[in-house]
Amino acid sequence: MQSATTVAAGSDQSVARPAAPRLATTGAILAAAAALLAAGVLVGFWIAPTDASTLGFSQKIFYIHAPIAETALLAYGVAFVAAILYLRRGDARYDRLGVAAVRLGLLFSALVMITGVVWGRAAWGVWWAWEPRLTTFLLACLLYSGYFVLRGSVDDEARRATYGALFAIIAFVDVPITFFATRFLPAGLHPVVIGPSGSGMDYRDLIAFVAGLAGMTLLFVGLLRVELGIESLHEQLRELKYRLGR
Amino acid sequence: MGWRQFKAMVRKDVVSELRTRETVVSMFLFVVLAMIVFHYAFTVSGGGRLSFYTGGMLWVVFVFGALLGLNRSFAHEKDDGCLDGLLLCPVDRMTIYLAKMTANLIFLGAIQVVAVPVFALFFASGRIATHLPAFLALVVLADLGIAALGTLLATITMNTRSRDLLLPIVFLPLVIPLLIAAASGTSALLSGAAGAPSVLGRLAFLLVYDGVFLVLAYGTYDVAIGE
Amino acid sequence: MAGAGRAAGNHGGGPASEPAGGARSERAGDAPERAGDAAAPEICVEGLGKAFGRRDVLRDVSFTVARGGFLTLFGPNGAGKTTTLRLLATLLKPSSGSVTVAGHDLRGDPAPVRRAIGFISHDPLLYRDLTAHENLRFYADMYGVADAERRIADLLERVELSHRRHDVVATFSKGMQQRLAIARALLHEPRVLLLDEPHSGLDPHAVDLLDGLLGDIRAEHTFVMATHSLRQGLGLADQVLILDGGKVVFAHGGGMAEAEFAATYRAQVREGALV
Repeated sequence: MQSATTVAAGSDQSVARPAAPRLATTGAILAAAAALLAAGVLVGFWIAPTDASTLGFSQKIFYIHAPIAETALLAYGVAFVAAILYLRRGDARYDRLGVAAVRLGLLFSALVMITGVVWGRAAWGVWWAWEPRLTTFLLACLLYSGYFVLRGSVDDEARRATYGALFAIIAFVDVPITFFATRFLPAGLHPVVIGPSGSGMDYRDLIAFVAGLAGMTLLFVGLLRVELGIESLHEQLRELKYRLGR
Repeated sequence: MGWRQFKAMVRKDVVSELRTRETVVSMFLFVVLAMIVFHYAFTVSGGGRLSFYTGGMLWVVFVFGALLGLNRSFAHEKDDGCLDGLLLCPVDRMTIYLAKMTANLIFLGAIQVVAVPVFALFFASGRIATHLPAFLALVVLADLGIAALGTLLATITMNTRSRDLLLPIVFLPLVIPLLIAAASGTSALLSGAAGAPSVLGRLAFLLVYDGVFLVLAYGTYDVAIGE
Repeated sequence: MAGAGRAAGNHGGGPASEPAGGARSERAGDAPERAGDAAAPEICVEGLGKAFGRRDVLRDVSFTVARGGFLTLFGPNGAGKTTTLRLLATLLKPSSGSVTVAGHDLRGDPAPVRRAIGFISHDPLLYRDLTAHENLRFYADMYGVADAERRIADLLERVELSHRRHDVVATFSKGMQQRLAIARALLHEPRVLLLDEPHSGLDPHAVDLLDGLLGDIRAEHTFVMATHSLRQGLGLADQVLILDGGKVVFAHGGGMAEAEFAATYRAQVREGALV
């Protein structure tokens, strides 16, 4: 009689790519990101003209703040797409992608809050104003933290991934809705303009902004690759432990 | 057949509730007690202007009260171990969702029918009566959103550990847009400050909100309720 | 001793079915092939596999059950008996393989399969705050049963619970709940009945009542039952399967003496006790 010691069929195996080239490309991406960000900061802080409005020098934080915000939204968008793909195809790799994307999205959202708070203090002397964008990111932080709480309270692996995916979809749809809702609130005490004022961007402002945006996006991609690489190794370790333990 | 099934499920939940009265009574007590707590919390010496906050307060109380009920959406199925019984039936999963959502709406509405007059009594808000149609529209649309979102989330959380704790954590951030619209709309009505356009704007927003989550539920409920 | 006095291998009521195609017969002598079973098997399971994440719970399980047949699944806890039944009941989706029940493929629309199936587990699947009548009424509505009131009355008669129809289920004993569960499962006249350890938790009298009921309806349905109970499992079955570690380790059509089966079981299965 055959006893059940054969290796579990259908176990999820990521295609094992050689480690060295993978690290190399990730390294290159991160280096490019660093370069772009450095360039953006340089141009933005030293070369571009100081903003004419009352914001003055503090406006320059925009060149970091806005790219971070957009990258956070990009991360949540990636999680949203990964969630849909997971529900459609059932491939655990999409689940891992989703988790990594949400984690990075949370990181970037926290940075949005920090830079936003710093900016608020510098520009208007208050630590916090219920400004629509900041408020939306605050709620996004709390919302996506719930993502991890939800996952943590499900014992079954497959269900955990399914529920995570459902939540990532619901949450992403809610973010723009939240943003529009916060604008219902009566106008705050401080007119908040997150952006360069005046009749438009000076070309140097534009360079700084685009550099910052590109740099942040590359940073996100690089970090995502690192996260996925780590997660993939964890997964292989779990797989080995499981097989040895049977 | 779908209609017969829908009626059967709603009737079952309502009959069960009438028999035990656990959920509705708890919700009602919570709502009234919360209003009393708010009164004392906001009454500062020198007489603060509570009317600033009454619209928001009403909806805070309803949202948290609704959570008590939403947590119990599938209580009978889970406690009596008959979720399988429901899933074995040849019923569209969406019909189950709509039936559960309707039951939640009924319970929430039942609370509000009593709680709103109590609210008017405590906080002397005669203005609700003068703006009744607008107020009712607001309540109906907001309730629909709470029920639609809450039932979907309750379906997910009922299969987790610590499900009673998890539902508020996932529900509250998602319901904030609805809360903003409902609360600010109610405040506008009560203080007589804003005109018709702003309330209409909020009603429109709530309509969109409800639509979005109903569509989401339609797309995901099969997966949410079980393989 | 069981009052019904069924000896192992005695086919209670109804026509005995020949061993269906997929089950491997291990006996030397053959039961004569019965004519009239040329129709497609009522249940056809081929290469069924089910994995929960990393864990493989079922591997390459195959069997068929002819119309009117009675298959009993034996096996230790965790062998996959409940999973198999839940897969047949559409409560789970197969990871691999194909399953056909009453002519419907499980990979398609589950509604026709659900209409053809009645499920009885150790959980009666009844609402405790509702009366017997209300429970049956609910399920009748959910299944779209025609002339529901009459059907409910008939079934309550059959399971001998008419006198308690307006009592809340919470007041029923386990045996009574199980009988009501049978009524629930039969409401929509399913062709196939799936039973997951239906005798567990019942006192001997209740077991006899249950067996009596099952014997009465034996002829009208096709059965798949999972059980630890040797006597009940062998008494009604015309086909047995032993599952272990998610695989079929023994299959047999036709009668088998209790003692012989018990010996085979112990030989084939690494662990786990038979009742």
